[in-house]
Amino acid sequence: MRPGRQLAVLAGMLVVLYLLVFFSGGASGGWKDRLEPRLGLDLVGGTRLTLEATNTIDGRAPTAANLERARQIIESRVNAYGVAEAEVVTEGDRNIVISLPGENRDLSEVGSAAELRFRKVLKVADGSGALPSPAPSPTAEPTASGTPSPDGTPSATPDAKASSSPSAGGQGGGAPTPTPSATPSAAPSPTASEEPVPQSIEEQRQAVEKKVGAEAWAAAEGLQAPADLSADPALAEKLKPFAELTGREVAVLPAQMQFNVPTISCVQLDDRPPASISNPEVQVVSCEGGYAKNLLDVAKVLGTDVSSASAVRDQTSQWVVSLNFTSSGQEKWTALTREAFNNEGQACDASALGDEGKCRVAVVLDNAIVSSPQIQGVLTGNSQITGNFSNAEAAELAGFLSYGALPVTFEAQESQNVTATLGESHLRAGLLAAGIGMLLVIIYSFFYYRLLGSVIFASLVLSAMLLFGALVVLGRQIGFTLTLAGIAGIIVSLGVAADSFVIYFERLKDEIREGRSPRSAVNRAWVRARRTIISANLITILSALTLYIVSVGTVKGFAFALGLATVLDLVVVFLFRHPMMAMLARSRAFLSPRVSGLGRVLPARSSEQAQSRNPRVKEA
Amino acid sequence: MAAENSLASRLYRGEAGLNIVGRRKMWFTVAAVLVVIALGSVIFNRFSLGIEFAGGNSFQVPTSVGTMADAEATADRALSAEGAHVVTAQKVGGAGGEFYELRTTQLDAEQAEAVRLAMAEQFGVDPANISANRVSEAWGSQVTSRALLGLVIFLALVTTYLAFRFEWKMAVAALFALVMNLILTAGIYSIVGFEVTPSTIIGFLTILGFALYDVVVVFDKVQENTRGITANNNQTYGEAANLAVNQSLMRSLNTSVVALLPVGGILFIGAGLLGAGTLKDLGLVLFVGMAMAFLTSIMLATPLLVVLKNRDPRIMAHNKRVEARRGAMGETPATRAGKTAATPADEQEDEEESEPVPAESGALAGAAAPKVGARPAGKRSGGARGGRPRGGNRPGSGKRR
Repeated sequence: MRPGRQLAVLAGMLVVLYLLVFFSGGASGGWKDRLEPRLGLDLVGGTRLTLEATNTIDGRAPTAANLERARQIIESRVNAYGVAEAEVVTEGDRNIVISLPGENRDLSEVGSAAELRFRKVLKVADGSGALPSPAPSPTAEPTASGTPSPDGTPSATPDAKASSSPSAGGQGGGAPTPTPSATPSAAPSPTASEEPVPQSIEEQRQAVEKKVGAEAWAAAEGLQAPADLSADPALAEKLKPFAELTGREVAVLPAQMQFNVPTISCVQLDDRPPASISNPEVQVVSCEGGYAKNLLDVAKVLGTDVSSASAVRDQTSQWVVSLNFTSSGQEKWTALTREAFNNEGQACDASALGDEGKCRVAVVLDNAIVSSPQIQGVLTGNSQITGNFSNAEAAELAGFLSYGALPVTFEAQESQNVTATLGESHLRAGLLAAGIGMLLVIIYSFFYYRLLGSVIFASLVLSAMLLFGALVVLGRQIGFTLTLAGIAGIIVSLGVAADSFVIYFERLKDEIREGRSPRSAVNRAWVRARRTIISANLITILSALTLYIVSVGTVKGFAFALGLATVLDLVVVFLFRHPMMAMLARSRAFLSPRVSGLGRVLPARSSEQAQSRNPRVKEA
Repeated sequence: MAAENSLASRLYRGEAGLNIVGRRKMWFTVAAVLVVIALGSVIFNRFSLGIEFAGGNSFQVPTSVGTMADAEATADRALSAEGAHVVTAQKVGGAGGEFYELRTTQLDAEQAEAVRLAMAEQFGVDPANISANRVSEAWGSQVTSRALLGLVIFLALVTTYLAFRFEWKMAVAALFALVMNLILTAGIYSIVGFEVTPSTIIGFLTILGFALYDVVVVFDKVQENTRGITANNNQTYGEAANLAVNQSLMRSLNTSVVALLPVGGILFIGAGLLGAGTLKDLGLVLFVGMAMAFLTSIMLATPLLVVLKNRDPRIMAHNKRVEARRGAMGETPATRAGKTAATPADEQEDEEESEPVPAESGALAGAAAPKVGARPAGKRSGGARGGRPRGGNRPGSGKRR
């Protein structure tokens, strides 16, 4: 029982907390800015992004059910940014409007579909789009072997049994360097584009055919492999119109044509609308690193085969996204890696093989190849995606993969700033309410507990300071956002915090009434009240924790605030109120009715005692 | 001396002697009736849901029409014809220019069109400049279902915890009081027709913890007073529990008042200064819920606990023993007990065998003032408690566990 030490611990906590407030990461600006908690959409406004559904290429509005499902997924994604009180609503029949507190937030990624596909890399061609480039594309590496190393930046390395580290990728600092001339031999696979195509796409294709001209179209259709334009200037001239196509127009072309026509560059391919290559049942073309066009096989493992994803550090302390497959997904993944490892049917062209002569498997997210590692063994375990991620990027991708892909594809409109829905006046009113509430509590406690009310007063001030500091720090660290409802919640929690004092005090009264000396009464009352206070607070913490884990959205934010306030209440009770009371109990005035109100139980007792003693003694 | 015995001062000392457990039939009846009313209203009346749940409409008005307050007022006039009103107004700005966005309560397509035209007329702008859209609910069904799931899990966990911390009968009684509390609060909302907004739901969830807080405070005392109760023959379980309720009444009242004061502040400011919105919603639900929590913890939780306990064979035997002993003691002590405050309610309790001497609990009220400080049983306190205000702790602590 060393009151002084407990108070010192509390003082230390306060100092550390406020050092964090003023100097932790993210603190900047004048001292006033550093003291600002992150306020919610209702109080300070924020950023709004409208996503418009572009349901692939045919342009119909998505179904209401799909739009709602997309809204929920986007809401989960936005909420994964932190405890931020975002608002996600659908507007009309094709828009989703996301509002986040804080101006100028970057939300551009949130509407990406996050369709994950694993596709074998069949062929590689130059995608620089350079017109008659006499020499093969510039290269930083020897290209004689004709086995291009996969792109340097992203490289996936399936973990589990594969002994491989990212060796397949990694080594090339430069662009991948397949020379167009190196690949004419490969047997063309003409099947891919023969799929039945929705009418509207057929029409769009015809429109493109008109645009490029019949001659160019015929020439493009005649190609069985990427054309070598330097060898055939006439063909180059014919295919020139394809360089003028927009991404949207390129997207409607058959995959073979996208791949074979050299004038279609990676710039155009990367500009295709979302979900252009999401159909798992056809071969597609995608670029890696902005230079290499990859012809990719049908997707044999999909995002839906992934049961969960998480961001972890691999052995080289790179951030990677670790994938857990569902059981059926696991089988598919094993089959795919076996196929790639053995290069079954020689499906992979020589240009597309890794440096050990095995097929590569591209990890395709939406329109882009994240990485395309060489498969160095049949993989029966889980997998991971590598690719020079930062912590945040890896976490975001993992989140996207876990919440599932959007059933609808969106294009983000320009983001806008919105003003607060409630605004300054409500913020002031909230603070006023807080002031009035606190004042009432303090008046009541002074009235009821006399001077001991000052202990309540001081502990409320302390609670408020701790809570405020925690809010500021958490706002910066995990994006905890304070809404008007949150402010009200804090006011309430301060009232509830005063409750634990009441319990303690009433216990004390009991003990005094039984005739204990103040010092022993304080200790005994503390032991008993502590039990009650802890159980009551534990229940609140339990409810906060359950709600925080289970629920989503606003309720999660609320649960967080409730839990925080309760924990801080316990801190103040243990480290402030009790030591203060223990110290006060040493003073002489402690029992005086004027000072504490505690003594009031005594005179009444003794006089009644005198009267009623006899009958009771008899009874006993 | 008279002042010493006023209700307030007896309350202060925990000696109010209110017969709460003895009148449990009355509380249960009242609660049952209220619950039926509440449930009926929830089922038939439903709640009036805010746009966060029901969805609404949005109108986009160019900023050229004036200030946002003007725009809101004008829009409200146009909307009143359709019985709708503006819920939020925001200024939206970006590269594509600025406009006001007004979100309103739900309208169907025709109404929305009518409002759009009316607004254009009142603002004096071309209808083409005002666009209208339906807006979905921001609080999806997912949020509600997950919150409900959380609620159920929490109830299961907390029951387990209470069963472990106290005993399962107390856990059941606490849970019962909590559920009653939630039902009654929801009922009040449904009956009065207060709008349910996300703030309301959040307030509702806050009550969860608070209601249990109250119950834990009372049960803690009950547990203390009834520990080892079967070791002597002075009190039935019901009486001991009633004494505990009385002793912790001031505590409960105080915690409730202290918690309600700030809520009152929120409500006052929210409703008084701002008229509507988050503060009022939250203040209201908390006020209603916390007041309910106080009442249910006193009037329902403890009486239910006594009912449950009285079914326990050990307690039943004990109660019989106490009764028998009182019978044997004959008239002498009865003068002490019987005379005072055997209320009509007590009389009617007599027919219930399991708790034979409710009169005793009434007795505690008046004449039994001396008994008050008594810890578990009156007998023990006889010598211990004190004529001596100071330094009297030795005998007391010697006897107490």
